[in-house]
This record gives sequence, C-alpha cells and structure tokens, in this order.
Amino acid sequence: MSTPRVLVIVPAHNEEESLPVTLGELRRKAPGVAVLVVDDGSHDGTARVAREHGVPVVSHAVNLGVGGALQTGFRWGLRHGYDIGVQLDADGQHDPGHLEALVAPVAHGACDVSIGSRYVARSGYRAPVTRRLGMILFSAVVRMAVGQRITDTTSGYRAYGRAVMEVCQYEFPKDFPDAPLLIDLARRGFRLAEVPVEMRAREAGRSFYTLGKSLYYPYKNLLASMMVMLRRPG
Amino acid sequence: MEFLSRTQIISAFAAVGLALYVLDLVRRRRLSEEYSFLWVVASVVVAVLGFSTPLLRALTRALGILYEGSTVFFLGLAFATAMLLYLSVKLSRLGQENQTLTRELALVRFELDRLREGVADDARRPGGSDPG
Repeated sequence: MSTPRVLVIVPAHNEEESLPVTLGELRRKAPGVAVLVVDDGSHDGTARVAREHGVPVVSHAVNLGVGGALQTGFRWGLRHGYDIGVQLDADGQHDPGHLEALVAPVAHGACDVSIGSRYVARSGYRAPVTRRLGMILFSAVVRMAVGQRITDTTSGYRAYGRAVMEVCQYEFPKDFPDAPLLIDLARRGFRLAEVPVEMRAREAGRSFYTLGKSLYYPYKNLLASMMVMLRRPG
Repeated sequence: MEFLSRTQIISAFAAVGLALYVLDLVRRRRLSEEYSFLWVVASVVVAVLGFSTPLLRALTRALGILYEGSTVFFLGLAFATAMLLYLSVKLSRLGQENQTLTRELALVRFELDRLREGVADDARRPGGSDPG
C-alpha cells in the first residue's frame, strides 16, 4: 500500500487568537501534512487567519458545533481523496508532535480509529473531579457496550480511516462526539485503538465545558449510548 | 340550548374564535395547512363539547371526571402536549436538515472560490488556459 494521504481537520469557532499558534506548530512539527480549517460560523477573523497561513478554509454560515464541523471536514477530505482524517483542535490542546504516532496504527491497518488518550500512560494531565467521574462512567459504558476498554472517551484527538469517514460524513453526533460515537463505530465493525498522548491547557478562548453542559453531557451521552445499543448496527 | 356553567360558555366561544383565527392565519399564508390541522381539530372538539351539553356529560362520565369543566381543561392539556411533542419532532428534523444544508453550502462555497481563483489566474495569463 502506498503512503496514505493524511488530512488534519481543524474545527475552529472564533479561534483567531489561538489558530496562528496551532497552525504554526503544525507546520513545524508535521511539515507536509495537509490541513483543512473548518470555520464553524465564527464572527472573528478565524477564516482570514487560516487563509493567511495558506491553509484551505471551509466556512459554515452558522455555528453547527464540533460534530458538524468534523462532518464537513470528512466530506471535504473524501472528495479530495484523503485516506485518513485527523481531528486536531484549534485551541492548542492537541500537540501536533503526536500526530505521527496517532496516524500510524490507522495507516498500517492495525485499527480504523485511533484515539489520542491522556490516560493510557501517565501524563501530566489532571482533570477536575466531575470530569474524571464522567470519564470513568463513560469508559465503563463503552466497555459494557462493546467489551473494549477505552480510557479516554472524551478525547477529541483522533484519527479516522477512510471507511469510517465514509460513514461519519452522513451520521455523526452533532455535539459531544464521544462515547455513543465510539460504541456506534465499534458495533459497525470498526476497530478502535488508543494511543498515549499528552494534552495541554488551552491557548486562548473559553473552555467548551460549562455548567449547563456538564449537566446535559451525561444525560445526552447516556441516552445516546443506550439508543445506539437499541438500534441495529449499520 | 342548555349550558352547565359560565366556564362552558366561555370555552365554547373561545374555541370557535380560535378555530376562526387559525383558519384566517391559513388564508393569510401565515400558517401552513399541515400545522393548522391539529389546531382546527382541537378547537372543533372543544367547541362541539361546549355547545352540546349531553355530549360533554357523557364524555365526562366516560372518563370518570366529576366536573364537566375539568373535561374541557383535560382535553386542552392533552392537545397542548400532543402539539408540543409534534413540534419537538419537527424541530429536530428541521435542525438536522439545517445542518446538512449548512455543511453543503460551506463545501459549495469553497469550490466556488477555488473555481473563481482559477478563472482569475487564467485571465492574468493571456494566450492559454490552465492545463492542470
């Protein structure tokens, strides 16, 4: 098999401050890798900043959330002949230095989705207690559902193979593409694997998780996980 | 015509008024026929019960309700619940369709920009079109 073409998809909503840092780091640490910025209905100069860095930009007219932005990225990637799509957040949490390690198992056919995980190896990351409880809970949910241990279900740093992108361009959770997505993909026969990564604090901007969301998150993901189990896979 | 209470009279006339208002909204194209259906059905049911006391009595007894006025409120509440659920379902689908359209629009706009840039490049290079 020839070297698979990798596309790094950067969903960005009002990230003009952190985007230059992220794109600069990508160019330094992963030169030659194609990058697509999905400007998810930003009101600031996100799209302009990306263009100034010579990166193609697809702009949503309104904000759809991370899931919608990724779907756009998947479809763009498929239409432009990419084999692997990697989600990399614009806020600087995801270190492009781990890109190669993350892509490798998908590229070698060892799995279809690789998840950059904070907990496989001891990393410096310490989450707040509520967040950690949620992670334990959803790790257990995924394990019960598909019999596989995924320690970091909320990690957004993932690499998706072509076949997975084919499915996900049509069906993908709108918000929080976490545990239910992993269960759904596993039930469709895709193989998941975790790759140890370190994550950093955000460069700038507001954290994605707020109080309202911290209540809605477990509700939505427990319900969605259950519904995935009740549906016939595929 | 016999009325049991003032409540019955008020709800009967209010229902007729509502039905007329809903139909007028349809006439002025402010409300689609599809969405008017549940409203018209509900207001007609309430109006019929309001103007026909024997029917209201029978239904009240059948439902095991003690007071006729409660029957009207019960039906109103049942209708409101059905309507809200129906709207939630519609809203979910609308959101889904909106998502799809937004994504597709973004991709089309990207292609359009690229084509436009290509045309601009060709214009700047006289004597030949872009081979690649």
